[in-house]
Amino acid sequence: MTSLAHGLVGRSDLPIPEWLFGWAAAMVLVVSFVALAVLWPQPRLQRDAWRPLPGAAGRLPVSRPVEIVCGAIGVFLLGVVVYSGLRGTQSSTANFAPTFVYVVFWLGLVPASVLLGDVFRAFNPWRATGRAVAGLARMVARTDLPAPLPYPERLGHWPAAAGLFAFAVLELAAADNDKPETVAIATLVYSALTFVGMALYGVEAWIRRGEAFSVYLNLFSRIAPFESRDGVLGVRPWLSGLPALVPIAGTVPLLAVMIGSVTFDGAAEATLWTNVVPDIAGFFGDLGLSARRALEVTFALGLLAAVGLVLGFYRLGVAGARSVGGGFTADRLANGFVHTLVPIALVYAAAHYFTLLLFQGQAIWFLASDPLGDGSNIFGTAARQVDYGIIGANATWYWQVGFVVGGHVTALVLAHDRALALYDEARLAVRSQYWMLAVMVGYTSLALWLLSRSNA
Amino acid sequence: MVLIAHAGHWLTSVAYFVPVVGFLAWLGVTQVRERRGRSE
Repeated sequence: MTSLAHGLVGRSDLPIPEWLFGWAAAMVLVVSFVALAVLWPQPRLQRDAWRPLPGAAGRLPVSRPVEIVCGAIGVFLLGVVVYSGLRGTQSSTANFAPTFVYVVFWLGLVPASVLLGDVFRAFNPWRATGRAVAGLARMVARTDLPAPLPYPERLGHWPAAAGLFAFAVLELAAADNDKPETVAIATLVYSALTFVGMALYGVEAWIRRGEAFSVYLNLFSRIAPFESRDGVLGVRPWLSGLPALVPIAGTVPLLAVMIGSVTFDGAAEATLWTNVVPDIAGFFGDLGLSARRALEVTFALGLLAAVGLVLGFYRLGVAGARSVGGGFTADRLANGFVHTLVPIALVYAAAHYFTLLLFQGQAIWFLASDPLGDGSNIFGTAARQVDYGIIGANATWYWQVGFVVGGHVTALVLAHDRALALYDEARLAVRSQYWMLAVMVGYTSLALWLLSRSNA
Repeated sequence: MVLIAHAGHWLTSVAYFVPVVGFLAWLGVTQVRERRGRSE
């Protein structure tokens, strides 16, 4: 499935070598940094600028009936995933479940969240089910239910980080990861764990902090100009939801998982990795693991290493920023700038997977008509095919470079604005950002190198 | 010839990271100079 993410034809006729695009991207970042230092002397993004939409425009999209309908749709689709995965054909490309989960859900909801806000919150099947069950229980008991346990502060975003890492292991390390039955069983296991979390700590508390996909998509939704508060939909400046992010325990590792998982997906194509896989897998084979398990463990360790690399580079930048003064602890700075990693996570995913969304995403049109792969034609679209001519290889590369540069410039803007708010002196703020600039240039170089390996 | 071809692949990969390595080197030298200036 993920092989489709990596361009179907080789690039040709680029005006300059691909590595020179990386140098140009680095120059763009440096010029942007200088421009920010000169032209952006005061913080502009730190204040809350949300305002409600008037009348029905603010109330209707987030009303209870709409929420119920969206939740019902989410639960229905969850059911289709599980049913089609367990009872349908086990061909990954002819079954609804793998394409829906890995493409429509995992990839498609990202741009939807970036453009429209936290739409997944309304369609979240686990939240909808939890709220329905809680409502039903209250109705049957005719009294308030016992209060859930208070959500432990130390738990923070760690369950979400662990959930995303587990999903990445499933996606990138597990054998048969795109087998429909595997997808269905993983969905059931995740659902059970989510219901336990919601039962223990309450639906909203778990959804806000512990449920991996809610937290993941909520982070991206902070880029959008739409946000609902207390049952009213409102608008705010683009990106302004990000500085409002309150980092808690596990937030930094969560972002490291988000970036690191895409990093590993790209790095797994490079000879640097493929050359060492046999040795590492052989080591685990010698320990008694089967060849298949040894390979899975090897890839899981590689994924962990990629997450560690991303985290380590960020902490290096934070240590450097701390060295210029200001009296901040490393954790204070790491949390203070963690929101700047969200646009980087976004463009890493966008650059790496947008062709998969464009190509395999089309498949949902015919898979919706034949979810089990048994020859059905529910909506009359079963005969449609994927059009691979939508975008060529060169255009793909240009879009990828554009995504990477745009996202890292955005991250620079957010970091610069936050530094101005944190430091008393603008000069100190700019000097601290030299190190963040190094981090951004590093992530940019890494992203373009990974993309060049993936598309080679 | 095969060795040169492989070296070419490696050099191409290294080329991607020249900007960040160069920038970090510049940053490190600048910080060392600043600290020496402060101690003098």
